[in-house]
Amino acid sequence: MSSLVRAARSAFLLSVRLRVVSPWSYLNWFVFPLLFAAVGLFVLSGPGSTSAHLVYGVLGGGLIGYWSVAYLDAGNGIQDERWNGTLEQIFATPTPLWVILLGKVFAGLLFGLLAFIPTAVLAYVGFHAVLPALDPWRFVISLWLLTLSFFCIALALAPLFAMWRTAFTMLNGFELGVYILCGFMFPVAVLAGWAQGVAGVLAPTWAVRALYASTLATGPHDYVLWWAMTFGLSVAYLVAAYFLYALVERKARLSGQLALA
Amino acid sequence: MTAQLAIEARTLRKTYVSTRGVFRRERVERVAVNGVDLKVEPGELFGLLGPNGAGKTTMVKIFTTLLLPSSGTAAVLGLDVVRDQWRLRRRIGFVFGGDRGLYWRLSGLDNLRYFADLYRIPPEVSRRRIPELLERLGLAGRERDRVELYSRGMKQRLHLARGLLNDPEVLFLDEPTIGLDPVGARDLRVIVRGLADAGKTIFLTTHYMFEADAICDRIAVIKGGEIVAEGTPDSIKTVVQDQGVVEFEVVDMPAERIAGLRGLPGVRSVAVADKELAQLVTVHCARPAEVMTQLGVMLDGLKLDRLTSREPTLEDAYVQLIGESS
Repeated sequence: MSSLVRAARSAFLLSVRLRVVSPWSYLNWFVFPLLFAAVGLFVLSGPGSTSAHLVYGVLGGGLIGYWSVAYLDAGNGIQDERWNGTLEQIFATPTPLWVILLGKVFAGLLFGLLAFIPTAVLAYVGFHAVLPALDPWRFVISLWLLTLSFFCIALALAPLFAMWRTAFTMLNGFELGVYILCGFMFPVAVLAGWAQGVAGVLAPTWAVRALYASTLATGPHDYVLWWAMTFGLSVAYLVAAYFLYALVERKARLSGQLALA
Repeated sequence: MTAQLAIEARTLRKTYVSTRGVFRRERVERVAVNGVDLKVEPGELFGLLGPNGAGKTTMVKIFTTLLLPSSGTAAVLGLDVVRDQWRLRRRIGFVFGGDRGLYWRLSGLDNLRYFADLYRIPPEVSRRRIPELLERLGLAGRERDRVELYSRGMKQRLHLARGLLNDPEVLFLDEPTIGLDPVGARDLRVIVRGLADAGKTIFLTTHYMFEADAICDRIAVIKGGEIVAEGTPDSIKTVVQDQGVVEFEVVDMPAERIAGLRGLPGVRSVAVADKELAQLVTVHCARPAEVMTQLGVMLDGLKLDRLTSREPTLEDAYVQLIGESS
């Protein structure tokens, strides 16, 4: 195993360990998704609701939890490193920052996926809600592409959090914005025209659309377009990340922003 | 051909740019290191002394590739800190003082294994080296405890173990004994001196004079980003070699008598520190015997607890250097 792969694996394992021993991480992947799913299912299971509505309740909580954990790992994770005084320590090792963050982001994705378990159990046991017309293969491919998009966004955002001490203040705003713009709990079609335009440049929007379509028999099923858009935008984020890391590497060494003060 | 220097800085300068003001933002440039020239030989234990904000940590961060210099050059082991950062990072170690810089919720062993992988140390080497370091630094047996359960001294020794994981040729220690109790600080100084005796080059920053005097081969004093003195501890003391120090404890010495003391011939400086019910007065002067004679008159009618004359220390030299350059 190459030393860089070993470093990324070690960053992954460290991140997993930190989540296991931190009570706060259980809020993100277990409690919060459950709350979102419960509220969504209550609202969407009211009079006049259809199974299509309920699907948003079943998957919405899990999607929110998944995104929160993956995204928080990029933002809060870096900020925690800064507060711990470890950001400078890891930056000054012979392992490039992107390799370390790669491992950390993978850990975030793993814990994010766990968010689907409590929400699925709640939906099935509490509301007898199921995914009525699940197309397993398309569902899995869409979920995989959604994971890719989260991975690329987290990887592209992480260096910004490393660079600017104050970047974490925009964390909540962006987190909530993506819930809404990417249609985690309701279709993007209900948004204003300009908001749909913004949603169009966010890769998860297309993956989420494909994910919901794979659980519903009705409606358009333009998978090739949705998957291609998800993949293409994710690659674009990766290209941006490549340049961002080079920029951050230099800017951080110029300004000394890796330290807390 | 001369041997390669362990550390070299040439007209090194670092400025930080920030803004101040709320509505009317103003760009502020602060000079942290100002045209420093420095050479450290291989195997030397070099101490950089200076008050808070003098530029010590900035220098360490430049040498350890965490910061880019604004101008000038810096090289460690012949490798440029700007261009050769990746090759350099494998060959140096660093330890910052204080509690931070560790994953407190994880064990000491987890911390070391993680950093061993980030330093890209082959597993067969780290499997051997980590227990060796734990043993050497007195952490064996506690390595599976969470770091949050460690004492401050243990945390600092764990920091040192982390800094030694890659068996660095040059080790940078930034105020490593800060906040440690006297015994913990002394233990750490013994370890650091031992590392230097074993052939490692050590660059130590501190503002504890006795620490530098006790373990450093050579020291430099930095003030306002500039080196104001450099040499062995004994050579630095020559700054005050023509002086002596007279110290006495007195109760309620009036301000006018202290002013009179400052006016005595040969007196360089007078420092007054409150000490419980008395005042500790330290007089740096050229001819201590004469000053002591005159003190009999100056202190007439006052309650004198103790009167001593002593040789100047490195701290006296440091205080004079820092004072003179301000």
